[in-house]
Amino acid sequence: MSPWAGLETEIDRLFESTLSGVAGFAGGARNQFPVDIYEDRDNTYVRAELPGVSRADANVEMVDDYLTITAVRKEKAEEDSFSFSRSLTIPEHVQTDKVSARYEDGVLTVTLPKREEAKPRKVSVAING
Amino acid sequence: MAKTLNQGKEKLTMSLFNSLVSKRDDAAAGTRQQAGNQSAIRPAFKVRQKEDGFAVTIYLPGVAKSGLEITAEANQLRITGRRTWRQPEGWTQIYRESADAPFELTLQHDNSVDADKTEAEFRDGVLRLALPKSEALKARKISIS
Repeated sequence: MSPWAGLETEIDRLFESTLSGVAGFAGGARNQFPVDIYEDRDNTYVRAELPGVSRADANVEMVDDYLTITAVRKEKAEEDSFSFSRSLTIPEHVQTDKVSARYEDGVLTVTLPKREEAKPRKVSVAING
Repeated sequence: MAKTLNQGKEKLTMSLFNSLVSKRDDAAAGTRQQAGNQSAIRPAFKVRQKEDGFAVTIYLPGVAKSGLEITAEANQLRITGRRTWRQPEGWTQIYRESADAPFELTLQHDNSVDADKTEAEFRDGVLRLALPKSEALKARKISIS
């Protein structure tokens, strides 16, 4: 057995995990969906493209630094219904109890208010001398 | 390799839905036709053949009704969708997977579809089209005297 055998698999695995996220959107058939992350002074925003989902069938959960969005797109024929799920790490500290979400034109926007200590602060420093 | 795979799939689509195919299928076969907007993205879509026509589902996230346009021409149906959302001032992008480019999909048919009678329903970024088959092509029972 080649001493590299283990490494190759590891590299393949890394490539797969890097590329699978991107490849998933092309067909629109995987259970992942594209997300964008934005921020302003007060909030972090996550926009998820989830067309055709009823508000009642979308679920947003925040546990520690992880935001998980799950949704079901229901179709008339039950076998055509589709489940989506995605977890993201939110870079800023979030006021977990104040997270809100809005759904419009097939895009879910989650607003994650930053904790006070994460907000940029302007501090005046007196210069002596 | 991905291309071969893709072509195989396109062919399958064509044989299944002989009278309603996406225009880019031709591009894959070599007869590249210039689409109107080069930077446009082809949306995810589904075509289902029914007894009396075709049911097409097109996913257009971020498109409002005002940004959607459906044009029926001689033997094709073109769907374009502009994204209405713009990044608000003060927002900084941290990570991006979606695109700003408009969606565009051209479906070709051999006039076995009565495009003038197309019914369209658009909700939550999903466009559902019902394309009835031309009267002349509908299966008819012939009585034997």
